Amino acid sequence: MKDLDPLLHSQLRLAVVSILMSVEEADFVYLKEKTNSTAGNISVQLEKLSEAGYIETNRTLDGKHTRTVCRMTDKGRKAFADYVEALKDYLNVNKKS
Amino acid sequence: MEEKTLTEKESLDLISQMIQSSKKNLEVGKNNQSLCWGYFTLALSVVIFLLTYFTQNGLWCWCWTLMFVFWAFMAKKNKRPDVVTYTDKAIGNVWKVMGFMFILTFIVSFICMYLFGTTMIQMMPLSALYVGIGVSINGILLQEKWMVYLPLISCIIAFYMLITLIAQREPTIFWHLLLGGSFIFSMIIPGHILKHKSIRES
Repeated sequence: MKDLDPLLHSQLRLAVVSILMSVEEADFVYLKEKTNSTAGNISVQLEKLSEAGYIETNRTLDGKHTRTVCRMTDKGRKAFADYVEALKDYLNVNKKS
Repeated sequence: MEEKTLTEKESLDLISQMIQSSKKNLEVGKNNQSLCWGYFTLALSVVIFLLTYFTQNGLWCWCWTLMFVFWAFMAKKNKRPDVVTYTDKAIGNVWKVMGFMFILTFIVSFICMYLFGTTMIQMMPLSALYVGIGVSINGILLQEKWMVYLPLISCIIAFYMLITLIAQREPTIFWHLLLGGSFIFSMIIPGHILKHKSIRES
């Protein structure tokens, strides 16, 4: 049985990745609101996902503010698909036992 | 939301919950651009018709180039949305292609006018056709039946104009109203249906 990816097996990071998997791209503020998280906390998690190459972030200047737009990478999509497969395996094993 | 590890079931619940929450983001209908474009074009067609009718000067048809000014205005006015869904991206790409075809048709028509002394009149049916096709494809993407079939009336108006040109009959000044009227079916009614649906669902 595959191990669950520790990077995705965390509440906030999994929430962010789940949202990004269902859209083309999402703004930092949108992700913060949808996950009911603080700016500091989500910032750290996005950094971790970005360092792992699961997401890419693009900073642009929008008037006086900086906007951060996030989107999944191919590596991130593959990791998420693997994670969901591993979850299914775990749940099937638990059902059988 | 804290950074904590989850059980397998909690993970699946969270994935499902987050995907559902992002699906609720139905921004498509609110302040949709179809209404702005539809009403602007309709108003412009009436103004051009009245000016041409009362002055009997065909040069007023160049006022249609105000569509480019409106295009630039809309592009500047619209902020980048907080979230872009796959449907948003597909719709954006459809209009990118239609816009590109519109510009190409304008350039080719302009060059032909300069080289061969032809007119720009074919821009009117082709514009109605491009817009009708564009909205119809949007309707398919958004799974809105009215949006798929109503713009076909706009295409029929375009076919009538094209056939008239092929038959070498003279276009009349009522063509301005025909083009504006075609936007009622391709932009205004579908825009209102979409807006109504969006308000009802929110």
